[in-house]
Amino acid sequence: MKREYVTFVRKISDLAEGRQALFIKDLSPGPRKYDTKLVRAELARRSGEGPDDNVLWIRSETGYLHPQPWTIRILEELPPHVAGQPWQDVFASLKQLK
Amino acid sequence: MPFADLRDFISALERSGDLVRIGQEVDWDLEVGAISRRVFEQGGPALLFERIKDYPNGYAILNGPVGTWRRVAIALDLDPNSSVREIYAAYTERRERKIPQATVSSAPCQEEVMVGPDVDLYRLPAPMVHDGDGGRYIGTWDVVITKDPETGWTNWGMYRFMTHTRNMLVGWPQATSQLALMMKNQFLPHNRAMPIAIAIGCDPLCHMVATDPFKPGESEVEYAGGLRGAAVGLVSCKTHDLMVPAHAEIVIEGEVLPDRIALEGPFGEYPGYRSGTMGEGVLVQVTAVAHRRRPILTLSTLGIPPDDSSIAASLTAATAMKRGLMRRGVPVKEVYVPPEGVTHLVVVSVERGGRQVAQQVLDFFTARRVMVSKVVVVDRDVDAFDMAQVIHAFATKCHPGKGMIVQHYEGRGNALTPCYSAEERRKLNGASVVFDATWPEEWAEEAIPVKASFATTYPESVQEKVRKNWRSYGLGGKA
Repeated sequence: MKREYVTFVRKISDLAEGRQALFIKDLSPGPRKYDTKLVRAELARRSGEGPDDNVLWIRSETGYLHPQPWTIRILEELPPHVAGQPWQDVFASLKQLK
Repeated sequence: MPFADLRDFISALERSGDLVRIGQEVDWDLEVGAISRRVFEQGGPALLFERIKDYPNGYAILNGPVGTWRRVAIALDLDPNSSVREIYAAYTERRERKIPQATVSSAPCQEEVMVGPDVDLYRLPAPMVHDGDGGRYIGTWDVVITKDPETGWTNWGMYRFMTHTRNMLVGWPQATSQLALMMKNQFLPHNRAMPIAIAIGCDPLCHMVATDPFKPGESEVEYAGGLRGAAVGLVSCKTHDLMVPAHAEIVIEGEVLPDRIALEGPFGEYPGYRSGTMGEGVLVQVTAVAHRRRPILTLSTLGIPPDDSSIAASLTAATAMKRGLMRRGVPVKEVYVPPEGVTHLVVVSVERGGRQVAQQVLDFFTARRVMVSKVVVVDRDVDAFDMAQVIHAFATKCHPGKGMIVQHYEGRGNALTPCYSAEERRKLNGASVVFDATWPEEWAEEAIPVKASFATTYPESVQEKVRKNWRSYGLGGKA
């Protein structure tokens, strides 16, 4: 069954197709909804048709929801954090994981 | 009599008609937030949600413990109909008192405990507060406790925290907050994790104190005791040596990690917007979760005013500002922080006005970290608590060419001020302006325009006659 996730970016233009490390939140209903995972994943703009393709909703830094979701294929789940000091930019650290 | 705990306060709110219990099942995912926000915007009661989807009966959420002036008055054991000025006066007077904490060995907040691998934050009904938030915010109306390892000073603050995973939280104390300075000065240089405890569902005055900008080194728990009129009972955490309010509903213990971060935010914040603070917070490894049986999670569904933040901060910030202005020698009469201005707008009335005094006021507000962006200074004859009078003074006495003084600053502004660009917010750059709505000091008394009001333009004898005969004229209203 397809799963749905949401990710947050500063701007939609920050997100590129292809292999990415990103934080996603699992939108499966229940008491664990919105649980966070850090994953390596393959992203695509097309709407997902493949059996391993899941839906990725995208929100901006103000929480604005982009109307067109992308497709995400999770390749690997990582520990749910990145290296960095408190108050440092998480997105800068994420880039090191690519 | 002080409230023994949150449940005692809930009973008082119920008796006064300031709380509604909602027994129908509601969804923690947006429904609780939507109901709460709508009730805030109607100036309605505190809400106790008693049945939360996915959670056992009795696990409850309380929204808006002090979201109206009536509820603040009840928290302070005043007449619920007390005026804002009376509430300010009572708080100011009691804020001078300190009562040391009492240590207890067992506590209601530790009736049920999850430690280490058993920790599961998803066993608590943290709500998805607003659509578009970065996650489920468990800490919106909390008391966040940290301790300086060098001086032993324990700091209480109120900061947002979001459930990240089953055993991790992410949070966003502003980078200029006391928590941040403690972490940066005492823990990061040694690459050490900082113990932290997040207490949720305490006596309302403990939360109020956590919003009060006491200076570093001041013991908030002693001020909370003074405000309550009784010591706050503290119990030691299960996994580190921090002391937490024994009567809290929930205590989350953990460590702020010095070398790991994760995505936090965004969140609909106290200025009334979700303006984009995200991805620059702290990560907490949770070591224990303790709670009462049938815990009550306190929530403030922040947004446009009024809500707990805009009301509580009106009181606690204004009191601190008045003290600070007096210390700086400003001839301050009163300070009012209108809830509608969400601590971005402050009214200061002064015994003697003029540009020099306005500059002094601005200097105070911009001396260190700057949370206030607009200050209106009015003369002593203007009631600072009466926004109709303040607007009139601003409209008529603030010279559009000479009456504004602007101060720019970098690295210490408010990251949540919506009118700042994303770059300004990230760099903590900003500006503050003082609107001088006082008469210039150099104007001779005979040249100052005379206010055309009943009290200022009629001889006392005529005023007296009119008041005396008011009813006989056939007029209603105030005689």
